[in-house]
Amino acid sequence: MRVLGIDLGSREVKIVLMEDLQVIYKKKIGTMTFYRDYCKYDGKVVVDLEKLDLGQVDKAISTGYGRNNIYLNEFKAINEIKAHVYGAIFQTGLSDFILLDIGGQDVKVVKVEKGLTTDLELNEKCASSCGRYLENMANVLEVDLDELSKHINNPVELNSTCSVFSESELIGKIAEGIDMDRLCAGVNYSLYKRLKPMLTKFNGNKLVLTGGVAYNHAIKEYLTNDYKEIISVKEPQFNGAIGCCYYGSRF
Amino acid sequence: MRKIGLTTTVPIEVLLAAGYTPIDLNNIFVTSDNYLKYIDIAEKDGFPKSMCAWIKGIYGACIENNISEIVGVMEGDCSNTKVLIEILKNKGIKTYPFFFPHSHTKEDVEKEIKKFMKCFDVSEYKVEEVRQEINEIRQNAKELDKLTYIDYKATGFENHLFQLCVSDFDGDVENYKLLLEKKVEEIKSREPDRKKIRLGYIGVPPMTGDIFDFVENFDSKFIYNEVQREFAFPRASEAKNIYDQYYDYTYPYDINFRIGEIQKQIKERKLDAIIHYTQAFCHKAAEDIILKQKIDIPILNIEGDKLNKLDARTKLRLEAFLDMLYDISLKEGSN
Repeated sequence: MRVLGIDLGSREVKIVLMEDLQVIYKKKIGTMTFYRDYCKYDGKVVVDLEKLDLGQVDKAISTGYGRNNIYLNEFKAINEIKAHVYGAIFQTGLSDFILLDIGGQDVKVVKVEKGLTTDLELNEKCASSCGRYLENMANVLEVDLDELSKHINNPVELNSTCSVFSESELIGKIAEGIDMDRLCAGVNYSLYKRLKPMLTKFNGNKLVLTGGVAYNHAIKEYLTNDYKEIISVKEPQFNGAIGCCYYGSRF
Repeated sequence: MRKIGLTTTVPIEVLLAAGYTPIDLNNIFVTSDNYLKYIDIAEKDGFPKSMCAWIKGIYGACIENNISEIVGVMEGDCSNTKVLIEILKNKGIKTYPFFFPHSHTKEDVEKEIKKFMKCFDVSEYKVEEVRQEINEIRQNAKELDKLTYIDYKATGFENHLFQLCVSDFDGDVENYKLLLEKKVEEIKSREPDRKKIRLGYIGVPPMTGDIFDFVENFDSKFIYNEVQREFAFPRASEAKNIYDQYYDYTYPYDINFRIGEIQKQIKERKLDAIIHYTQAFCHKAAEDIILKQKIDIPILNIEGDKLNKLDARTKLRLEAFLDMLYDISLKEGSN
């Protein structure tokens, strides 16, 4: 059976096609591009499956940021917590873990026990603990995200709660002549500090890290202070879409 | 008849034989519109914020309802009851201790009940007479339980409430007997209301009584209420005497004995999952560790504090848990 999963994220739309529980196609499209080039407007937004050129699709499941705003023909919408939990269960083979998903604007912490969600926490008013913060700070430092994520030690102190004020704070540190290594580590560590209060209620040994921020080496390293084992998945950014496919295949 | 307050279930047959009207202060507290006032009374008198709402509610209910005598369970129930009883004693309330011995041997249980009977000057014969009489009511509570998990006619809330109230027969044995009989007849005449997910509720009865109706929005139903069922003593008619009856009672003794009965009910009622309720600041929250190790169906642990309604976060957690359980039950249904 060929199952299509679409995760409509805030920064990108993730598309995965699975056949018999194997990923056979994956694609990331910028949110703007997706709406502009892959959707039709017929009073409401409709996904143009032909333009995606996926061939036969037996079942289609969607989730994510825009799941209720978009009409996906023959798609079944599932909530994003469930999609990410199923994605993590499929990608790790585990049934007891803490899932930390850090996307462009959303952070989700979910406790999974015996394969079911038993607790969850989401960021609400503020997205300064998310991927977009790292992107903005990397822009200020004129480095790419990959380079930014390599710096771990001796982080410069960044204390602003607001991510916009953090940029000014960072500029101040640049002006003080602090070296790049400490500046980058400071950015990474400040994101970790924002995540920490959300994690305090989620005790456990295994933490599965997903979302784009899972590529950040420094965050992973800092999280080893709190969890015995940090588990990375093969496709952290496609986890929600994979979860959709898994759900579609299994249920 | 003189009123006597209870902090939890005790051998009520002894108190009835002695001519008392037992009043379960937990029920007075939690069913009152002014339940928060009872907590306030306790906190004004110095009970700390970090003490469970039930203890404070019992205290407030005792003071406000002019209860002059009280039975306090000093072993086997809440570890805070000991200090509660000491405070009430100092306020001039006559207190009687009762112990569910941790050793859980028949000899020790018999010894405690005999002490209790001596305290109230009642004979074993009289106690047995009362026990036989109220066993009829217990039979009806058992009938209501069956109407929940076999016939799907009683709601989860009714199952909770009508078994819970057996702890003091709602303050009036004769009246409760009639009320329960009528209720059982009314439920029998209903059509079954089957739900996809069969839930069990374990732990102390909740502050948040709306949980029973809330889960029914998600094609789920509580068809087992562990402690409420124990309060109703479903195995009383098989017990030879009062000693046997209170020996075969799971809640106040060691956890493995309790888990044995839970496991039996999981099998019998084909439960899909369990909601384990614990009260904020209660030592029983730590029991969740053992329960999750020994029980092999999914368990969601939720916590209540002072409010008598589920908060938004707990609702979201229940919803996420039930949502995924529903997926599994659909799959199992199609296999």
